[in-house]
Amino acid sequence: MIVFTCENDFEAIMTCIYHAWEWAIKNGHDNMRLEREPILQGTLFDEYIHVEADSIKAEKVVRAIRNKISDESYIRVYYACLAEEDLLDSIYRYLRIGFRVGEKVNHMLTEDSVMRLLEARRKVGNESHFFREFMRFSSIDGKVYIAHFEPKCNVAHLVSRHFEDRMPSEHWMIIDDVRKIAVIHPKEEEVYIRRLTDDEFEQLNHSEECEDEYTTLWKSFFEHITIKERTNYKCQRNLMPLWMRKHVVEFKE
Amino acid sequence: MKSMFTCKETCLLDKKNKCLYNKHMFELCDYSLNQKLEILADAAKYDVACTSSGVDRKGKKGFLGNARACGICHSFAADGRCISLLKILMTNHCIYDCKYCINRKSNDVPRATFTPKEICELVIEFYKRNYIEGLFLSSGVINNPAYTMERICETLLLLRTQYKFNGYIHVKSIPGAPEELLATAGYLADRISINMELPTEESLKKLAPNKSFETIMTPMGLVSDTIATHRLAIGKSARMERSNGNKYLNNSIFSNNNLKMEMKNEQLSLSDTMNTVISNGSSADKLLPNTRDKYHLKRAFAPAGQSTQMIIGATDETDFHLIQTTQKLYQTYDLKRVFYSAYIPINEDSALPSLDTAPPLLREHRLYQADWLLRFYGFQAKELLSEDRPNFNEKIDPKCDWALRHLEMFPVEVQTASYEVLLRIPGIGPKSAARIVSARRYGTLTFEHLKKIGVVLKRAHYFLTCSGKMMYHIPIEEKYILNQLITLNRSDNWQVAHQNQNRQMSLFSDFNLGGASG
Repeated sequence: MIVFTCENDFEAIMTCIYHAWEWAIKNGHDNMRLEREPILQGTLFDEYIHVEADSIKAEKVVRAIRNKISDESYIRVYYACLAEEDLLDSIYRYLRIGFRVGEKVNHMLTEDSVMRLLEARRKVGNESHFFREFMRFSSIDGKVYIAHFEPKCNVAHLVSRHFEDRMPSEHWMIIDDVRKIAVIHPKEEEVYIRRLTDDEFEQLNHSEECEDEYTTLWKSFFEHITIKERTNYKCQRNLMPLWMRKHVVEFKE
Repeated sequence: MKSMFTCKETCLLDKKNKCLYNKHMFELCDYSLNQKLEILADAAKYDVACTSSGVDRKGKKGFLGNARACGICHSFAADGRCISLLKILMTNHCIYDCKYCINRKSNDVPRATFTPKEICELVIEFYKRNYIEGLFLSSGVINNPAYTMERICETLLLLRTQYKFNGYIHVKSIPGAPEELLATAGYLADRISINMELPTEESLKKLAPNKSFETIMTPMGLVSDTIATHRLAIGKSARMERSNGNKYLNNSIFSNNNLKMEMKNEQLSLSDTMNTVISNGSSADKLLPNTRDKYHLKRAFAPAGQSTQMIIGATDETDFHLIQTTQKLYQTYDLKRVFYSAYIPINEDSALPSLDTAPPLLREHRLYQADWLLRFYGFQAKELLSEDRPNFNEKIDPKCDWALRHLEMFPVEVQTASYEVLLRIPGIGPKSAARIVSARRYGTLTFEHLKKIGVVLKRAHYFLTCSGKMMYHIPIEEKYILNQLITLNRSDNWQVAHQNQNRQMSLFSDFNLGGASG
């Protein structure tokens, strides 16, 4: 069996699909699968082919999805690429059905790959919504607002689009501590994404240490809005899981 | 009643942004900002509504904020309630003496007042740090309702114009405030609400002697008429948008036939009211003043609609009464939401339940479940309860309860049942029903698929078949299914009812083993 592998990056994934498809046209779709790197333990009888990202080929795939299937499908594929787990093979199987039947592929929930992509879309969508809610900016000098967060899926870009609309006239920055990338928004300009070097990352890590008077005010508001007679920590944990509270100021001592 | 408050020209419009607090009030305000926030958050926490939903608004350059129709919660307090808005009172001074309220005149509690500027700065700074989604502003009544409402409007105006805040604002209207101020508030806020507090005139008289049904229902009607007029003027339908699924339901409380019938019963046909408004230039017309142009605000009138809140357990209304009132409010006043708040005994009074009464949390939970059934599932109040059975079953939820009383309809075949019928199966909601309807066109559904689609099979499997077969071989008998469902629900119910009590489980009382001994 042939295994196509690529890095965990949207462009690389699309290129990988391009090459896999090219190979499958000659040899059939059954004797191959796709996997995301890193491959920790290869199997003995499979042949691994690494694919490098190529923007032209990636764009061809994207265009084909949008024209031949639908924009909604493109969104699903994009979200699946951001997911925590490896969905590369499911994306490929989904696209196979999609190119055959067109836009109604999204309704075919009895197909395993379609269901997986729907789940991924929900999962990534929900996580980006959670961080729209629980992102906490802190301000160093009242001019620049910096937020740190540690998402499971790669949602920094999705989340930043929300804040771009919300705070167009503010300098702000969102930092994904897991992937070490920063989304930077200069006042009244467009956002851009940047990989941080270790030095920059180290420096920015201190931004959360300084607290101002509004943090204190918020903490006391948070405490006093609770109705003591209705205390229900279980409900609180269900709605706001512990792993999401890591950078949320009101839960820090 | 209205003549009492015939307001001279809304002075708010002339003395723009000037703080009009009298001397008496300044003397009392020697708390620090933090102390004020503590006092006024404490005073506001018994208001239930903290939703930021119902309106989509894009951000603007130079302004701060946008609004999302789905609503965004920013944190969850230790009681599990969401914190979405900065929920504060402007002041907790109050001339009224409502028995159930912590801020009543006769209570000895610390009193504080925010200045408009303090509120604005809190909102802006919290918002920039993504702590909140907007402001929820309510207030105790100082001097008189008109004066209080004017202060509220002044604050909102400052926030919208000078501080360029474009986020969500929920404002509480003060019962008895003049119409002009209600209109100004509506244009500045996204949602406007008037607390109904108690569902009958008698209970209101008993517990809130300074309020009357008229001072609550008249402004509610005015606001709902104005929202409708305004919506028509900007090319939308007169009634608020409801959950999408409702358009596939023939018998929901929002379907045209039922609305028409309800209007006839109430003699309050919306179109009639509006006709009279247009021809006579009556009250609702006055609610559309020129304030908009004066400030170049160009804002819609309360685009997220109107809501209200009722206290449960302080008086002896039945669930049937409450749920019928709710339905009526949705149909005639086109409210977006009705909230319930389990009564928490904070004051001692002969007219109130005693101080050691536990808040009726499970009852509140059942009412909310029923409220969802009305708004999303196409149920009607009279289907859920009746005069003979006026209260919800504590042991199982209203939907299961209904299904058990209508076992002749079940089991339902998933592959062929209509959307309306699917929605009536316990364990299937609007989302999974819609997914079933779209997925079954392209393949036969099995129980495995249903599980992945999101159906809660542990409840649903008693009521449906896939390809003519039920999941397990079980008798379709009311008693059997009832026992099974009660076992399923027991721990959930117990948790809702005893959220904050740490108590040891008892084998005998919790599991009905008392009789088994000997």
